[in-house]
Amino acid sequence: MLSPVISLFAGVYSAEDVPMVHLQDKNRYVCNPDNILSSDSVYVMDTMLANLEATTGIEVVVVAVEQVKNGDCYDFAFNIGNGQGVGKKKINNGLVIVLSTKDRCVQFVTGYGLEEFLPDAICKRIQVQSMNDAFAEGRWSDGMTAGVRRVCGVLTGTMDAELEEEGLMDYLPTLIFVIVLIAFLMWMERRKRKCPVCGKYTYNQTHSKVIKRSGRYIDRLITYECLNCGYKTNKKVHQYKDSDYSGGFGGGYGGFGGSHGGFSGGSFGGGSFGGGGAGSRF
Amino acid sequence: MSKTGIILIGVLAVIAIYLFSAYNSLVTKDEGVTAEWQNVEAAYQRRADLIPNLVETVKGYAKHESTTLKEVIEARANATSIKIDPSNVTPEQLAEYMKAQNGVSSALSRLIAVAESYPDLKANQNFLELQSQLEGTENRIAVARKNYNDVAKDFNSAIRRVPNNIIASFAGLEKHAYFEAEEGAEKAPKVQF
Repeated sequence: MLSPVISLFAGVYSAEDVPMVHLQDKNRYVCNPDNILSSDSVYVMDTMLANLEATTGIEVVVVAVEQVKNGDCYDFAFNIGNGQGVGKKKINNGLVIVLSTKDRCVQFVTGYGLEEFLPDAICKRIQVQSMNDAFAEGRWSDGMTAGVRRVCGVLTGTMDAELEEEGLMDYLPTLIFVIVLIAFLMWMERRKRKCPVCGKYTYNQTHSKVIKRSGRYIDRLITYECLNCGYKTNKKVHQYKDSDYSGGFGGGYGGFGGSHGGFSGGSFGGGSFGGGGAGSRF
Repeated sequence: MSKTGIILIGVLAVIAIYLFSAYNSLVTKDEGVTAEWQNVEAAYQRRADLIPNLVETVKGYAKHESTTLKEVIEARANATSIKIDPSNVTPEQLAEYMKAQNGVSSALSRLIAVAESYPDLKANQNFLELQSQLEGTENRIAVARKNYNDVAKDFNSAIRRVPNNIIASFAGLEKHAYFEAEEGAEKAPKVQF
């Protein structure tokens, strides 16, 4: 929701200034802060690029702005690519396409892993054949859509999105740690429910009574009862006013994996760039 | 064995483990420098590989520019003849290497300038694409050089710290040379028209 605010300051962009729409919504790839491209064309390109990422895992960022710092499209595109880490980390299959209307330049930069599939000469050819003429006439949306369509044509089928799965190995230790932690917490919770008399896991809290309030603390008398053997015990607890003890640990688990509805943000894989790509002036 | 003896052995063992791990980290950094150097060489090699094709293309349109073409070919031959051992680059060797590569850069920029006066050549798709490949390669060279300088700097400052400096002098690990910034070399020369 940042983009409408920033668009008020349309003008000269550094690589860090461009709001990355993909991070807010994983189905969007085209950063159009100055509204240079028509919303229809942005939609078309987003769709093509979402499709490309789904099938090949290739991450593309398209940026159209009025002006970039120092008028250098290459530096700008390169810094976006490396700064955001566009592309998957090990494969480096990122691509950044920049159009700067006042600097009159268009630039592709390709991640290390894409150089083989989208060589500099092909980048140049796409610009010369499909983009530069339209840009020269100010038909920004036409030129960009045509260019992105050709890029998708070249890149479709070059990679397998599944390759990305290798990245899972990086998260495996963390994942195992989290699973072990959750299992441990669940075990702790379950242990509390073990009846000290009959040993069944049916020992629950049945009543809770406030017996004294003193300042910020509350003393409660909590009754536990085993539903199996009927063993009953009272426990006095002294606790901070705002904490609600009755829920125990169990209440917290609901939060995992919950999506808040609507759009979910995407991410970039941390790919790096080595200077490949091509640029044109029109 | 006396208590003091055991403590002494324990302390020595801790020191030994520390020294080994410090040495290992230096070796890893050193290998990193070598790897980045190979990227620099690969980028220059990539440029050298483009030259024959470029020369052929220009020759087809600009027969009268044989001097410029010859200069490019000679500069390329000169540059590719210099090989550097990445594990032991001295500043002098690096300077020599850079001099040869800069010779290629200036010969190439003269060639591109010459092409300006041949409209047919300028419009030739093959030439246009070669030119963009050349430009991409110059960008790659700039990135590779910067990455090399970064890791070399990291290594050089690591071997100056105590006790790494002692380990490095025993292990014979020496400072790596940097690319010096010269005549706008820090910034990729743009051959964009």
